[in-house]
Amino acid sequence: MAFSSVWSSGLAGNADTIVAPATAPGRGALAILRVSGAGVREVAAAVCPRLDFSKAWFAQLTGLTSAAGERIESGVVIPYHGPRSYTGEDMLELIVHGSPAVTNAVMDALISAGCRAAEPGEFTRRAVANGKMDLIQAEGIADLVAAETSWQLKVARAQMEGRLSGRVQQLRQELTGLLARIEAGIDFAGQGIITPASELEPVRRSIVAQIGALLATAAGGERIREGIRMTIVGVPNAGKSTLFNALLKSERAIVSPHPGTTRDVIEAEAEIAGLVVKLVDTAGLRPGETPVEMEGVRRARMAAADADALLVVHPCDQPEPGDLNGITNGRPWVGILTKTDLAPPSKRLVRGGWVPVSLKTGEGFDDVEAALERLAGGDVEQLEGAAVINRRHRAKLQTSLDEIEGARFDEPELAAEAVRAALASLDELVGIVGSEDVLDEVFARFCVGK
Amino acid sequence: MGACFDLIVVGAGHAGCEAALAAARMGASVAVVTLHRSTIAQMPCNPAMGGIGKGHLIAEIDALGGVEGWAADRAGLQFKVLNRSRGSAVWGPRAQCDKRRYTLLMRRLLEAVPGIELIEGEVTGVMTGDGGIEGVRLADGRRFSGRNVLVTTGTFLRGILHTGENRRPGGRYGEAPANGLGRSLERLGLELRRYKTGTPPRLRRGSIDFGRVTVQHGDQDPRAFSWRTREVRNRIVCWVTRTRPVVQRIIRDNLDRSPLFSGVIEGVGPRYCPSIEDKVVRFPHHEEHTVFLEPEELGGESIYVNGLSTSLPIDVQEAIIHATPGLERAEFLRYGYAVEYDVVASQQVRHTLEARAVPGLYLAGQLLGTSGYEEAAALGLMAGINVVRSLRGEEPLVLGREEAYIGVLVDDLVVRDHREPYRILTSRAEHRLLLGVDSARERLMKRGVDLGLVPEKMFHVEQARWERRARTAHELESTVLHPDRETRSWLRDAAGIDFTRPATWAQLLRRQDADPQRLADQIEPLAHLAKEDRDIVVSRLRYAGYLERHVREIERVHRLGAVAIPSALIEEGAPGLSREVRDALIRYRPRTLADAERLPGVTPAAMAIIAGRILSRRGVDRA
Repeated sequence: MAFSSVWSSGLAGNADTIVAPATAPGRGALAILRVSGAGVREVAAAVCPRLDFSKAWFAQLTGLTSAAGERIESGVVIPYHGPRSYTGEDMLELIVHGSPAVTNAVMDALISAGCRAAEPGEFTRRAVANGKMDLIQAEGIADLVAAETSWQLKVARAQMEGRLSGRVQQLRQELTGLLARIEAGIDFAGQGIITPASELEPVRRSIVAQIGALLATAAGGERIREGIRMTIVGVPNAGKSTLFNALLKSERAIVSPHPGTTRDVIEAEAEIAGLVVKLVDTAGLRPGETPVEMEGVRRARMAAADADALLVVHPCDQPEPGDLNGITNGRPWVGILTKTDLAPPSKRLVRGGWVPVSLKTGEGFDDVEAALERLAGGDVEQLEGAAVINRRHRAKLQTSLDEIEGARFDEPELAAEAVRAALASLDELVGIVGSEDVLDEVFARFCVGK
Repeated sequence: MGACFDLIVVGAGHAGCEAALAAARMGASVAVVTLHRSTIAQMPCNPAMGGIGKGHLIAEIDALGGVEGWAADRAGLQFKVLNRSRGSAVWGPRAQCDKRRYTLLMRRLLEAVPGIELIEGEVTGVMTGDGGIEGVRLADGRRFSGRNVLVTTGTFLRGILHTGENRRPGGRYGEAPANGLGRSLERLGLELRRYKTGTPPRLRRGSIDFGRVTVQHGDQDPRAFSWRTREVRNRIVCWVTRTRPVVQRIIRDNLDRSPLFSGVIEGVGPRYCPSIEDKVVRFPHHEEHTVFLEPEELGGESIYVNGLSTSLPIDVQEAIIHATPGLERAEFLRYGYAVEYDVVASQQVRHTLEARAVPGLYLAGQLLGTSGYEEAAALGLMAGINVVRSLRGEEPLVLGREEAYIGVLVDDLVVRDHREPYRILTSRAEHRLLLGVDSARERLMKRGVDLGLVPEKMFHVEQARWERRARTAHELESTVLHPDRETRSWLRDAAGIDFTRPATWAQLLRRQDADPQRLADQIEPLAHLAKEDRDIVVSRLRYAGYLERHVREIERVHRLGAVAIPSALIEEGAPGLSREVRDALIRYRPRTLADAERLPGVTPAAMAIIAGRILSRRGVDRA
C-alpha cells in the first residue's frame, strides 16, 4: 500500500483528476466511466465511500452517491494504482447501467467530487507523458479504436504492441552507435581513435537497407489505412455495372441491356481481403455519340487514371480487346471476361490470366472474388504488422533515410550532422523530441475517454 | 579583519587566476588566497594546453579577454592544430607548454594587475551571516571579509593520493589537502560527490633511448591562441612509442593491487581520460597502446608519459615502463598516482556559477566536477565576470549553447546530472559547425570589448579580418564560370573536375567530387587570403546547407525564449505534468519556454502542456 502510493504520487504529480465516459454516448446495457489523476483516492472516497481503494485491480460492487449524499447507482468499480494503470496515474473504472440519465448523474457526482471533464485523448496523452507508451503506440491505439477492416485491426494492434516502435528503437541504437564512432574520430583524433570510412560504410548501408525496408511497407500501410481505389473499365455493354452490383451485393448501379447506360462515375465501398476497397463504376469506353456520353467517357478515363488498380471487363461475345497499356498504364489490373453464358471465353486470354465469369448464372464468380483479393491485398500479407502506417511515419523515415544517404565519412563533422539529423527525425517519430504541433495533431484524432 | 573585498578567490589555479584577473580588470577589489605563491596556475597533469574542444575553450576565453591563451602562447614549446586537415569547425589548436614558465607568467600577472591582493594561507571556512556571504576564515586564524567568495580549490577537497596500496592525504603531488573547507561547504548545505583522476609517471630525459621512438614535430606554420600574440614558434619535439602486448599481462596479473580495481578508490574517474589499467580491462582486444613522451620544461629533465596514467604500485609501473620500446632503462622522477577528491554537485549552481542556496558564493573549476585546465579557466572567467556584474546590478552574462562552448559547458554542468569528471567535447555541442575556433572572435570579441577586457582597437583589427573573409565568400558565391572548352580543360587539369553548366566558384567548391584544397589553389580571390583564412572560407562554403539549418533551429529556440513562463505556473504546476517535470520547474525556475525545453525530463509532451497552460492563462488574464 505504502509502496504503491509512493509510486503513484511520483508519477501523477500535480495533475488534475480527469473523468470521461469510455463508452459511446446513448443507451446501452452498460456504460464505463474512467477517472485518472492524483486525486483519485479523494474522489473515490466521496463518490463510492465503501470502496476499498487498497484492493487494486479488484472489481468491487459498491454504491455510488451524489454530492448531496443520495445513492444514485450501484455499480462495479475497479481501482488502479499508478504506475500500473493505463495512464500511469491512480485510476478508477466505474461500470454502471448504460442509461444516459445514470451516466450523467455519475459524471455530475464525480465532477462535484473534484474531477474535471477530460479533453479528447487526454488519458493517452498522460500515458505518453508518463512513459507508458511512445507516440507510435499511442497512434496505434487511436487506429485500433477506429479500425473497420480486419487488416486495419491487425496492423493497429501490432503498432500498439510496439512492433514498429521496436524497429525504430533498433535503428536509433544503430545510428547512435555510428554517430559515436564518427564523434570519437573528431574528438579523439589526437589519440588516433579514427574509424576508417571503410568500416563505417557497411554500417550505413545496413541502416539504409533497414529504413528502406520499412519505407517499402508504406504503400501497403497506406492501402490498409486509406483503402484502395479500384476502377472498373471496359467497352460499353460489357457488364461493368452488373459486376459492380455483384461485388457490392446490392443494386447500386442501374443496369440495362443497352450500351451506354452508365453515363457518370459511381463509387461505393466494399471490404475485400480485409481491406477497404473503393469500387468505381464507369461509362464504357468508346467514341461518344452525344455530348453527355462523351463527357461520361472523359470521366471514365479520369477515374481510370486515379485508380490504384483496375478491373478490365470485356464480354466474350465481342472481339478480343486491343492494347490495354493506354488504360492500365503500369498499374496492377485484372481482366474479367463476362457473358460466358453467351460465348466461350478466348483461350488465349484465359491463359493470359483473364478470369471468365457469367454474372447471369454466377458461374466463375468465386474466381473473380479470389482474383480481386489478390489484386487488393498485394503485398500486405508480408507486412506482418510492422507497417509504416501513416504519412507522419513515412515522412519521418524518409527524412532519416535522405540524411543518412547523404552522409560522407571523409568529412566527419558533416557526416555527424547528417547522422544527428537522421536520429532527430526518428526521435520525432517515437515522440522523444518534437513540437507541440505534432502532439496536437496526433491527439486530435482521439475520442474523449481514450 | 581589514577592508571588505568585492571578491575573495580561494585557490589560484586556472579558474582562480582567470576569475581574479577578470574581476580586477573590471574594477573590483580582489583577494586571492593560495596555499603557496609558487604554485599559482600549476599544470599538475599534462604539459599541454588546448586540443579538440579544449582548444575551442581557449579561443573563446581569449576572445572574451581572458588570459589562458596568451600565457599558453608565451609558455608554448610546440604548437599543433589537431584535425587541421578537416573542416575549420573541428580544428583543435594545442600547445605543449613549459610548466614552470606558465606558472611564473601567471604569478607575475597576478602581482602586476592592480586591485589584486595575493594572500598565502589555507582557507578553512566560508563565513556567512544574515546578509549572506561575509568572508573567509584561514587555518592560522586570520579572517578576511568579502561580499562574494569564489571557491576554486580543484582536487584539494579531502584529497587522497593513491599509488598501489600506498594511500596518503594530498591535494596533488607533494601538497596537503584542504579538509576544513569541505566541511564548511557541507555545512552550507552543498552536496558533495567523490571523483577520481590520475596522472602518469615522469621519466628522466637522459635515461630514454630516443633511437627507439618516433619524433613528433609541431606544425610547420605554428598558430598562436591569442589575438595578443604576434608570433609563436616551435622549440622542442615530442616522441611517440607504443606499449608491448606483454603490458597486458603485467597489468592483469597485478589488478588486485590496483586501488581502482581492488575497491579502495570509490570516486568515479573520467571515461575520456582512462588509466592504462582501465584501458587494458575495457579494451582487451587492443594489444598496444600509444604513448606520447612530452617534455615538461624547456631544457628540463622531466618527461611526461602521456597515455600511461596509472595508480598501480611502483614495481608494476616500473615493469610496464621498462617493457615499452625506448623506455627499457628509463629512470622515474615521479611515479603515477590517482587522486580522489570531493566535488560540489554542479546542479547546485546557477548559470552565473553562483550557488543557488548561498547567494554570493561562487564555485568554479575542477571543484565543480570538470577535468582540465581549460574547463577550469572558462568557468573561472565566467564566475569573475558575473561577480562584477552582480555587484554593479547588471544582468548576468550567460552564454547560450548556440553561442559558445563555454555556454555548452556551463549549461551542461548546471542542468544535467554528472557522475564523472566533465570534459568538454565538440560532440556535446548541438551547433558544432557554428562554434569553431575559426569563429570564436567573431562570436565573442565584441562581448569582451563591452566587458572592458578587450581593447577596442584589437577588435577592429580582427573585425577587418573576418569581413575580408566574408567579402571573399560573397565573391565566390557570385562569380559565375562558363563551361567553355578552355575553362573546362583548365579545371580538369588543375582540379580534376568537369562541369557542363554555368556554375559559381562556391557551387564547384561544394561539389562532393571536388578536392576543395586542390580547387582552392586555383581560385584567384582566395589567393589574396592567408592560408588559414582561405581554409575557413572554403570550410564554411561546404558547411552552408547545414549552417542554414542550425540558424533555423536557433531561431526556433529564440522564439521559445520570447515566451515567458509566469512564476505562478511554476508554483501551481499544470495538469498532466509528471512529478519529475514539476520538480525540474521548481528547482530551476526556467524563465522562458526555451529554458524549460533544456531541463532534464522535460519531454515534448510536457512542453505542450506548459505552452498550452501559458496560452490558457493568457486567456484568463485578458477576461
